[in-house]
Amino acid sequence: MIDPEGGLLRGTLDVLILKSLSWGPRHGYAVAEWLRGATDGELLLEEGPLYTALHRLERKGWLASEWGFSENNRKAKYYELTRAGRQQLRAEVSSWERYVRAVSAALGAAAPKPA
Amino acid sequence: MRRVFRLRLGRATLAREVDDELAFHLQMRAEKLVTGGMISEEARREALRQFGDIESVRRSCLTIDQQRERAMSVSDILSELRQDAVYAVRMLHRNLGFTAVIVGTLALGIGANTAIFTLIDAVLLRKLPVEAPDRLVAVGDPGRPGGVSMNPGPQGDLLSYNAYQRLRERAGLLTGLLASGRAEPSVLIEKTAGAEAEHPSGRFVSGNYFKVLGVPAARGRTFDDAEDRVIGAAPVVMISDGYWTSRFARDPAVIGRSIVVDGTPMSIIGVTPPTFTGDVVGRPTDIWLPLTMQSTLMPNRPWLSDPSVHWLLLLGRMAPGVSLDQARATLESQVRQANADNGSQGASEKDLREMKIYVSSGAKGFSRMRGAYELPLLTLMVGVALLMLIICANVANLLLARAIARGREMGVRLAIGAGRFRLVRQLLTESVLLALLGATAGLGLAWWGSHVLLALAADGAPAIALDVRLDAPVLAFTVALSALAVGAFGLMPALRSSRVDLAQALRAGARSVNSNALGARGQRMPMGRLLIAGQVALSLVLLVGAALLVRSLSSVEQADTGLDRDHLLIVELDALAAGYRGDRLASLTQELSERFSRLPGVAAVAFSENGIFSGTESMNSFSVPGFVARTREDSVAATDRISPGYVTAIGGHLLRGREFTAQDAGHAPRVVILNETMAQHYFPGTNPIGATMRFDDTTAAEIVGVVASIKDHDLEGAPIRRFYSPYLQFGAGEPGSLRFEIRASGNPADLVMPVRQQIKALDPSLLIGGIDPLSLLMRQSVREDRLLARLASGFGVLALLLAAVGLYGVMTYAITRRTGEIGLRVALGAQRGDVIAMVVRDALGLVLLGLVIGLPLALASARLLRSQLHGIEPSDPVSIAIALVVLLASAIVAAFLPALRAARVEPLVALRQE
Repeated sequence: MIDPEGGLLRGTLDVLILKSLSWGPRHGYAVAEWLRGATDGELLLEEGPLYTALHRLERKGWLASEWGFSENNRKAKYYELTRAGRQQLRAEVSSWERYVRAVSAALGAAAPKPA
Repeated sequence: MRRVFRLRLGRATLAREVDDELAFHLQMRAEKLVTGGMISEEARREALRQFGDIESVRRSCLTIDQQRERAMSVSDILSELRQDAVYAVRMLHRNLGFTAVIVGTLALGIGANTAIFTLIDAVLLRKLPVEAPDRLVAVGDPGRPGGVSMNPGPQGDLLSYNAYQRLRERAGLLTGLLASGRAEPSVLIEKTAGAEAEHPSGRFVSGNYFKVLGVPAARGRTFDDAEDRVIGAAPVVMISDGYWTSRFARDPAVIGRSIVVDGTPMSIIGVTPPTFTGDVVGRPTDIWLPLTMQSTLMPNRPWLSDPSVHWLLLLGRMAPGVSLDQARATLESQVRQANADNGSQGASEKDLREMKIYVSSGAKGFSRMRGAYELPLLTLMVGVALLMLIICANVANLLLARAIARGREMGVRLAIGAGRFRLVRQLLTESVLLALLGATAGLGLAWWGSHVLLALAADGAPAIALDVRLDAPVLAFTVALSALAVGAFGLMPALRSSRVDLAQALRAGARSVNSNALGARGQRMPMGRLLIAGQVALSLVLLVGAALLVRSLSSVEQADTGLDRDHLLIVELDALAAGYRGDRLASLTQELSERFSRLPGVAAVAFSENGIFSGTESMNSFSVPGFVARTREDSVAATDRISPGYVTAIGGHLLRGREFTAQDAGHAPRVVILNETMAQHYFPGTNPIGATMRFDDTTAAEIVGVVASIKDHDLEGAPIRRFYSPYLQFGAGEPGSLRFEIRASGNPADLVMPVRQQIKALDPSLLIGGIDPLSLLMRQSVREDRLLARLASGFGVLALLLAAVGLYGVMTYAITRRTGEIGLRVALGAQRGDVIAMVVRDALGLVLLGLVIGLPLALASARLLRSQLHGIEPSDPVSIAIALVVLLASAIVAAFLPALRAARVEPLVALRQE
């Protein structure tokens, strides 16, 4: 799932953001840190596109946002999954799993017997 | 985290939020790098590097946020509107009776206003359905499409054929100039024996008529210049789509078919499109006849050859770039010139200079109705507007009363944080919904009402053929009216009831909040009561107007006309069309007179040229030796040609001299009879019998009699100067028409059939123009006044009813509120009569306040009616007294019912309620 420039495909970034928020509200930096740790820094080469994605998901109604205070007491914008966002996450995860199963089955197949 | 009430965020706020969010990220990242051992300057650069193109991220975040804001605010507004509407529907549905009353009264008001406006649209505003109507210019008085005037002097309101030809030759600023004039054709469609002739509405028009108007033929062809070339050589007609449908069943073979018009066979060459009904509004033309055929179809009426016959109206099409003002200036001087060229006999330079010339926009065509109905319609419009105000006051009052009942609900909603603006909007939504329902019902009412109005206006005669429809201007009017009404009746209660005093409202318990909680603090006069006083004032204005109009009408209808109005039957015969001339005409009058006289129930028979209330009038010019004419009017008077014994037969009074006899015929010396008005004008204080009147250098007539003045064509105003000549004295030219006046000893309507039979028995080909009792003709002559009086009375009564209902409502409400107080009074020994008197006194206080406001208003607006009043003054005390008495009486009745209820209050029950 790596595009020619080495970045994330848009759909993959979206589903990972949804996943990162599935344990509760986070601000953008926390999402970035989680992504870094969870993917060993392999997927997100630049952090800017993460914010474009957050705003886009909010426009779609999957995320809601609110200003709050961070751990070190700074004003930060917190994102949260909406009900629609949660449904979207479930749908994406199950379709991702089907996709992975299908691709791994094909990749792990033995050589076809000669007919 | 869903925000219920939220404000839309501006671009600056959004940008700031994006910046804050990104700054927070960079700061966190830099701090983390510093913890990892970097110096802060380097860490900041590294954080930026890891972030990527910050400017482009910032821009796209902002764009996305703005899109989200826009979408949200639209959906917020929509969902709030939907909430309001759903809520309003629920509220209106819950109070169905209340809703029905309001929608009903609004429908009445909007319907009445729209109906009157529909007529105003059709009569006063709409343009002719022709090509570019705004480019047409009218020459002549557009209010006289049926006028014919014989006058050797100059004239500017109608034109002679001669003047038309001169104007047409010179019309430089025009691309075309058409003429049209009165025609009253008798038509035989089937040329079989015994067929009845009919009288479609006709019009003589010049050959270029359809070309100038830009109206093509829907079938066949239109007239063209060929029809104008030779007098009497174009026996062709055009018919309207309506006539083609009603008389020819839309038979395609109608083109080329021959019909008989006034005894002359003419062939149909074309049918007009359905939208075009001619140049006369309010009287659709059925059949168009070439102007050049007039002398053929109407013998003895030299309207083409005699330049002193003025009967044509002209429409010119202005050349591109020519303005109406330019056309007017040129046409005025050309009309003056044409009159001068006519060698207008007896016309001085001064006459020519002073003559009034009519040049105006021709966009709306010609119409007698426009002049006749303009003032009545505008008066009615003012009347229904007043009615609408009363209705708005009534509805406002009802809404206010309900707002008081809903005070607690409002209080609760305010308490849980609804904004006041939101509450006002909620209440206005209900008002808009009510207005919408009212307007829809009102439009239906208006469609029906405008047809009823037309039938009323026609007053028994065939309904006036006006194309009334709910077109764009009418709909726009209704929408604007409804919007205004919402503002008038909805806004005030909404603002008021949202100003609820929270503490009071909630404390008042489950029952309704009293008006103190509704912001009536310190006001001695609650809004509802002021509205009632206002309604009473407006009702008084309408009632006084109605009373004045009704009394004016009855004074006109009962005016002394100087003849026996209740017993005369007027018979109009088209004898000339049937070929009666000279001696044959004389013997026809003799024969018919004898036949009619022999009928049982006939007291007397006379005949004349113009008759009585026929709508046909002649003027003639003359001079009286020894009398110096100062103005042109001094040498012109109305005239008629009458039979022997005419004055006595119609119930007039001969004051001096004698009537005409059978000897005043043929080439006997010419004689005339004057009416009293004329005798006093020319012979003040002397006896005119034996004096002479000169008509031109060679003709003079001796005055042989004076009759008491008769109102024979117009019930309004004083009788005009008039003289009579003998019908059968053909030396002065033959008469153009024949009408019999039959005086019945009983009801003249009983004579209609026998008279018709006698005419048919003598000559079946003789065409009957009409057989009508004089009283009917008289009534029709004042039908505008009758319409106005009837409608004004109707609106007056409606206003009265509404005001009474309003008063009843307010009093009932007041008594409900004062139940406890009344109970206490009764407990302390007040009698029922005292209670009733108290309530009625309270109500009368309101009514008197209304009358005090209304009386000066009524007097001022009555003065606007002056031109429509005959025989009474605008300040007529009787009318004002009638209005006051009717209003007071209704108010007492309206107040008495709640008073009775108050008197029945049981003290114990009332006190326990508190």
